[in-house]
Amino acid sequence: MNIVGPDALVFGVDDVGACTKYLTDYGLGPVGVDANGGRFEALDGTAIVVRRRDDPSLPAPLDTNNMLRQTVYGVADQATVNAIGDELARDRQVKRLPDGAVEAADDDGFGLRFQVTVRRKLDMPGERINAPGSQPQRGINQIGVWQEMPAKPRMLSHVVYFVPDLSAGEAFYTNRLGFKITDRLVNAGPFLRPAGARDHHTLFFIQTPPYMKGCEHFAFHLGGPTELMLAGTRFVKAGYQSFWGPGRHKFGSNWFWYFNSPLGCHVEYDADMDVHDDEWEPRAAPNSAEAAQAFLFEYREKWIPGGPPPGGKAEH
Amino acid sequence: MPRTLCRFDELREGEARGFGPFEGARTKLFVVRKDGNLYAYWDACPHYGNTPMAWRTDAYLNAAGNRIVCASHGSEFEIETGRCVHGAALGKELTPATIELTSSGEVILKS
Repeated sequence: MNIVGPDALVFGVDDVGACTKYLTDYGLGPVGVDANGGRFEALDGTAIVVRRRDDPSLPAPLDTNNMLRQTVYGVADQATVNAIGDELARDRQVKRLPDGAVEAADDDGFGLRFQVTVRRKLDMPGERINAPGSQPQRGINQIGVWQEMPAKPRMLSHVVYFVPDLSAGEAFYTNRLGFKITDRLVNAGPFLRPAGARDHHTLFFIQTPPYMKGCEHFAFHLGGPTELMLAGTRFVKAGYQSFWGPGRHKFGSNWFWYFNSPLGCHVEYDADMDVHDDEWEPRAAPNSAEAAQAFLFEYREKWIPGGPPPGGKAEH
Repeated sequence: MPRTLCRFDELREGEARGFGPFEGARTKLFVVRKDGNLYAYWDACPHYGNTPMAWRTDAYLNAAGNRIVCASHGSEFEIETGRCVHGAALGKELTPATIELTSSGEVILKS
């Protein structure tokens, strides 16, 4: 099952206006957005889609008040979409749409759609660093940071679900859809990579009581840690609430910075995730603050050491 | 020590506003004006116990303005009681902050 990764997440929200402002300020580009919602795209065309909660065109909601309605998977080709449809039709209702896409739900009721991927191939450099002992990556006279440098989400990276039963979720995605487990945080859940992706994870589960079932967060990849720091700093300065980060996860090695959101879940910037293939042997560690991150920092206002200039006044 | 947060007439009906954190504290508090009454809680979702709830400065209420919402996981709380009625913090309550409205119309944080 050559699933490339998530193409989009579809939400049915209470406040379309708030979500529109939030996702635009986060750095996604609005496409066809009006008072009823629309599409918010990263640079490669992956997206968050927002509709009003009562929009009849939305897939059925979960039986909690979570706002996620559908995870849209991009697949390599139409033959694979059809094969997924045939596989899922063995034990559940599958909708085959005129555009060739296939819709179903997983065993927990999370809405799924499979389509030939809409991802556009990106051709742009990632963050480049210079280090002794290594050829300079940036080259002579190229600067590494400036205040207004672009820091836009490039690609929808991953989605994390709260699920009531880890083993059932794991079995569905590995046995039926061909996902691989890359690593496991014991007592939280597995990191999952679809067969057509190299990223450490595009899906992660956290086990919770059934009343919490839903989307815990989603993340978009940025071009590197500097872009992540800049984007997060701009988001804080625009008035948004940091939840966790900036820091760097251990499993996956991705830099992270999580924020609260009006979509009823956290929204993350991430950067520089490990890539794997089938040779990788999954690791396991008990879930803990120590296991979850290599280091963690917290935003603070810009500050400079030293007193006021001669004859100047202290700020406080 | 009591601290003046704002004047009562600075809060519109149906408005929520955050204050602090004040020296020595990491947690903000927020005040909601509903039906002419004021309700104040510490800005700490009882799901994890200590995480901030708004998604943006002063954004503590749902779109309808009739529930407090935690923008971490969408838990909803009754404005009058702080009781969670939906979501991750189900069965838990917000911690009230003690405020007082003075005869001159000032909202004071007592503790």
